Parts: sequence; structure tokens; C-alpha cells
Amino acid sequence: MKKLLLISLLLLTNLFGAPREGDQEIAFELPSLYTPQTTLASSSLRGKVVLLNLWASWCSGCQEEMPLFVKLQKAYPKKQFEIVLASIDADPQNARNFLANVDKDKHLTSLYDKDKSLPKAYRCPGMPSSFLIDKNGKIIDVYIGSLDDESLEKLKIKITQLIGK
Amino acid sequence: MKTIFLSIAFLVLLGGCSEKLVRVMPYEKEYFAQDKMSLSPIAERAEQEGHIFLIREASAGGESSFQGGCGCR
Repeated sequence: MKKLLLISLLLLTNLFGAPREGDQEIAFELPSLYTPQTTLASSSLRGKVVLLNLWASWCSGCQEEMPLFVKLQKAYPKKQFEIVLASIDADPQNARNFLANVDKDKHLTSLYDKDKSLPKAYRCPGMPSSFLIDKNGKIIDVYIGSLDDESLEKLKIKITQLIGK
Repeated sequence: MKTIFLSIAFLVLLGGCSEKLVRVMPYEKEYFAQDKMSLSPIAERAEQEGHIFLIREASAGGESSFQGGCGCR
């Protein structure tokens, strides 16, 4: 009986716990922010290192880190490393307007998560939230809050290591 | 074991009587992030109001603002 209680407790904590480092990423298929008729599935990103960023144009932290992401994406070819943004704005035009100033040349892959399905699934405790995912879809690191120059340098080291694996 | 189950059941029952608190998740705060939701949306006005308040209360010398003096304007 005690074992049963323990197992059910473990199952419950597993059920309500947010995905962490070492867990498999949550599969998704979301429309592009710019061309809603085209979608991108997480399965199509297998084989490359991915930084999944959940953001919104109204979130000041997200605004701060976006230029850094553009810089980061420019440092790696998209075949090896891809930054995938998932905007949760109520109006996608707000996200487009913001990115038009920051990422004019559309270096970043931008998706639109109308139903906020990803932050709900990842149970994001803060905005923005970023997830470093390896070539096999395993979560390597979780970043809650905006990244700065220092953390970006550390992130670069990790990305280079993951690309080489 | 029976006591544990009874306690859990009792707690669940008590939970039904508690006030339902809605937790707004960080990704649901779009409305709260709007300027109109700020307690003092106009920074200059808030500064001036603070300046006048402190002078009327006579608790401090007043904060620096675009007008000094008595705070009567």
C-alpha cells in the first residue's frame, strides 16, 4: 500500500512538473509569424541545435534580449544552429512591428503561438523563457528572464560544444 | 494508512470551502503590461503630486520637481 502511495505521488509530481534540463522538448507545430499559412514543426528542427525563445512584444525583458539574439543567430549558420521565436502576443501585428525594427532582415525564425500553448506546456515561471535544445530534441538548458552579454558568451560556448557533438 | 486517506479526503473537502485564487501566469500579463494599467501612467505628474503631497504633509522638504517652492501650484 505504501509503495502504491509513493508511486502515485511520484506520478503526480511528474505530471505537474515543468520540463527541465535532460527532458525531451515538447513537440509543437506553429504557424509562421510572417506567413501564417506556413507552419514549422519541432520535428523538422532535429539535427540542429535550437534556442527556443518564448516572448511577447509587451515584455520589456524580451525586448532587451532580442538584439542579442539577432547577433547570436548571425554568428552561426542556420543549418547548425537556429533561434526559434514563439510570440504569444494577442495581436501578432505587435510582434511583427517590434521585429521590423530589431530584426529587419528576418534572421530569426519567428512563429506565432496564438493559444500560448508552449508557455502553458513548459509552465513558464517567467517571461521571457528560452530553452537550449540539442540535435536530438533534448533540453540542455532553461533560461528564465532575459539574457545579457555575459550569459550570451556562456551560451555561445555551449552552442559550439553541442554543434560539435 | 486509513488515517492518511481520511486526512487527504478531509483536506480536499476543506479545499472546496476555500476562496478560489486565480494565479495570473507571467505569459498572461499582456493586459497588465499596458501603460494604462500603471498606477501613475504620467511620470511627471506623479512626481509633481509627490512633491505637493510631501509639502502638505510637512514630513519632508519635498522632492525635486519641475517647480520648487511651496507646492501650492
